[in-house]
Amino acid sequence: MSQNSEEKRQVKTLERERLDLGRLVKVGEAGLRIVGDSVRRTDDVLKATGKLKYAADYPQEGFLHGKILRSPYPHALIRSIDVSKARELPGVVCALTGGDVPGRNGFGAILPDQPVICQDKVRYIGDGVALVAAESERIAQKALELIRVEYEELPAVFDPRDALAEGAPKIHETGNQISLDKLRKGDVEAGFAQADVILERTYQVPFLEHAYMEPDCCWAIPQPDGTMMVEGPMQAPFAVRRNVAPVLGVPINMVRARQIHMGGGFGGKEDSPIDLCCRAAVLAKHTGRPVRISLEREEVTLQTCKRHPMIMELKVGVTKDGKLTAFKSTVYDEQGAYASLGPKIPPAGGSHVHAMVMSPGPYEIENCWVDAYLCYTNHPYGGAMRGFGAPQVHIAHEQMMDELAAELGMDPVDIRRKNAFKLGSKTATSQVLDQSVGLRETLDACEERFGWSQRSDSAGWVDAAKTKRRGVGVAMGWYRTSIGTGGDACGANVHVHEDGSVILYSGITEMGQGAFTVLPQICAEALGVELEDVRLVKPDTDLVPESGPTVGSRSTTLMGNAIILACRQVRESLDQKAAEMLGVEPERLVFCGRKVFDRDNPDGKALEFRQVAAAAMASGMRLIGQGWWAPPKASLDPETGQGSPYFVYTYSTHMAEVEVDVQTGEVTVTDYVAAFDVGKAINPKALEGQIEGGVAMGLGYALMEKVVLENGMPQNMSLQNYLIPTMLDMPDLKPLVLEQTNQHGPYGAKGIGEMPNIPATPAVINAVANACGGRVRSLPANPEAVFWAIRELGGPPQD
Amino acid sequence: MKSVELSCKVNGRPVSLPVEPDTMLVDFLRGHLGLTGTKTGCREGECGTCTVLLDGMPVNSCILPALKAAGREITTIEGLARPDGSLDDIQEAFMDAGAIQCGYCSPGMMLTAKSLLEKNPNPSEDEIKHALSGVLCRCTGYRKIVQAVRDASCRK
Repeated sequence: MSQNSEEKRQVKTLERERLDLGRLVKVGEAGLRIVGDSVRRTDDVLKATGKLKYAADYPQEGFLHGKILRSPYPHALIRSIDVSKARELPGVVCALTGGDVPGRNGFGAILPDQPVICQDKVRYIGDGVALVAAESERIAQKALELIRVEYEELPAVFDPRDALAEGAPKIHETGNQISLDKLRKGDVEAGFAQADVILERTYQVPFLEHAYMEPDCCWAIPQPDGTMMVEGPMQAPFAVRRNVAPVLGVPINMVRARQIHMGGGFGGKEDSPIDLCCRAAVLAKHTGRPVRISLEREEVTLQTCKRHPMIMELKVGVTKDGKLTAFKSTVYDEQGAYASLGPKIPPAGGSHVHAMVMSPGPYEIENCWVDAYLCYTNHPYGGAMRGFGAPQVHIAHEQMMDELAAELGMDPVDIRRKNAFKLGSKTATSQVLDQSVGLRETLDACEERFGWSQRSDSAGWVDAAKTKRRGVGVAMGWYRTSIGTGGDACGANVHVHEDGSVILYSGITEMGQGAFTVLPQICAEALGVELEDVRLVKPDTDLVPESGPTVGSRSTTLMGNAIILACRQVRESLDQKAAEMLGVEPERLVFCGRKVFDRDNPDGKALEFRQVAAAAMASGMRLIGQGWWAPPKASLDPETGQGSPYFVYTYSTHMAEVEVDVQTGEVTVTDYVAAFDVGKAINPKALEGQIEGGVAMGLGYALMEKVVLENGMPQNMSLQNYLIPTMLDMPDLKPLVLEQTNQHGPYGAKGIGEMPNIPATPAVINAVANACGGRVRSLPANPEAVFWAIRELGGPPQD
Repeated sequence: MKSVELSCKVNGRPVSLPVEPDTMLVDFLRGHLGLTGTKTGCREGECGTCTVLLDGMPVNSCILPALKAAGREITTIEGLARPDGSLDDIQEAFMDAGAIQCGYCSPGMMLTAKSLLEKNPNPSEDEIKHALSGVLCRCTGYRKIVQAVRDASCRK
């Protein structure tokens, strides 16, 4: 490797608070060889040479092409529908309406409230009212134009507060309010009585598009034995299978879901493959032929889930020395037309409850009160997107921290340090953080690297002509590892063969985050073989054990533990056999680098791993391991929102420097430092990649991204007008990685996938406010919004 | 629509096939030639995922009619490796730097980088960013891609 890419990669292990790692990995276990090494990704060569097949690259011979006729109205009754003309078009094999769904006419990641084919009413522009399968995409498209639908328009609702009002048009029979979730800790009014300063502010965030580069594409292939096989880029094959089976009216074991490498997911491909696979499967069932549904970019925007918009009304009290005394918030979380991943899976699953739990921020506050409404509207629906409700609420509390600091004349860093979680802190749900809390360390590291005190002193005009002002911003954050549902768990199978080669079966999917590299790294380390000895079987519900979805920053930690446990089972046989062969006690054995030797005599006789494996197999010993790991039990009281919803958290601090053109409102991010407590970096380079990509996405959220909706219709459906950051928008980002061991994690790891996305947005917004005085409380802070925020103040500061 | 014979060179090999005049270059490459390494992300020339080299210049193959390539030389990701099969410095540098995540934009990124380095063997960071800014990436935040291009320029 050349000098340049080796630069500045530092992972700092924090010695303080070092804990015994408990059951999974013992401190002082033989030095790590593969875990902690930035190995090349296992799928890199295929990707670098264009040989890796994404869904769109698979041969299409013999396939029918499915198309979806979508509702042009946000809310309407279907009076009649006539597909006869479409059926007559040569090349059309079938045209289906709601009555043609063989089983349950509904799917959904949590509740099956979204019709596979709408039968009586539509609830958003994009709802599917008919499906067509034809010999080519062109014919299928043409057939859609021949379908006649009579609608009766209903009044639509586009604001969650309107949806909750009495007499609002009812979107679903169950009512518009999906839930009101409450968090109650201490006495919030008493907390306000202790406060010297109380601020009330409302913050608002829009729908966001995932904008993964690969548009969705899934298919269904009927198998000779009656099984339906569905394939596509998907984050949650088990959730796909769980939906396709009842939609077809068959048991779960008659559906097989296989993941194809994803061209990005970011949470979006948890939902959309459920939609596409259910529809493709219904068409395949009717035609008896393979059916493929591939979406164009505009269709992805129209049809698939987005990040939930929220309106967050905060009231926060603080003493004059900066101690938070009370936090009160009412959150209107807009679910859109369908439930998707919003509703609660007890005790603490679903994006809405997660948003509520995270909403007071990573701060010790004695008195907290949150009312969080989740409700339907006639907009597109909100699903999972990198942070699952956490980015939204961080945008509120992190702006509020700066507004409080400004009111008190305090440094934004000081007010955070005064209140930030530390070991032993109690969260807003009264969870005691008893291990792996490196939040303050991330603040210290970030402050030092960024040079906060010097930088914040030099905020102000950049040029003599006074066109641009410079400012700095800070934001902190926390994010769970795991999903807080009762059933959260991962299974893994590990098979060792007589030649020492290994197969790892895992249902965790690859979307670019590096799971197909990091999981084999853990397996190789746990067995004491080399990385190239481990071949990973790609997620396939017929082959791999239930692993849950690849979401919630859970994969490395939960699956990593399952893999270690699977390897332990195999190691029991290997230990016994090697102990016989070396004539030493099994406890003294070390498995490392394909060698097995006596810990107390490392220079003595060493066995080859494959020798031991072959001998064990020849003695009829078990070389198949199955690991199953579930995190410590989650809890959350449904009335008070008190409990321990997630077993461990990742922590982070970000600092940004921006320049604001006060004439145009244009913002340039000029410098950026982000520090993380990750537990343990299994592959530091891949982990940095998560940081850099997450920050870029957060920067887009801050400055440019918004799905613009007019009467329920997205106005910016393409990448020409839905803007995401380009290479020119990115500052020189410096990631800092700290390790505060997680005693429940494989080798001490905890999740990283989502955390980097979360504090990035408020850090940039706070820097903009610091630079020009104007604060944009309804995102994005695009040039127009910043321009008006400055004008509202009567112009930029003159100092 | 009446098909027209398209003759051009793809990855060094002469190709001659009938295509319909409204066929875009990306569909010719993926559909007619089976070169699926070239991706599509938007089909309107915005995301740069479909970038290939036309006589060494990066073009969005999703909005370029295939017939525009008549008599010209096209390089796709399948043609980036050296004739002996060893990988180009750019491919090696992308892998070493960790510049590939989901990989969907990578062919477009690497080919654009190739074109840049052919013209400007020692580009500054700013020049790299300007040259590659037409290709969108949602995974990496671009930092490791810039590093990779810089690394590749040092390997020459």
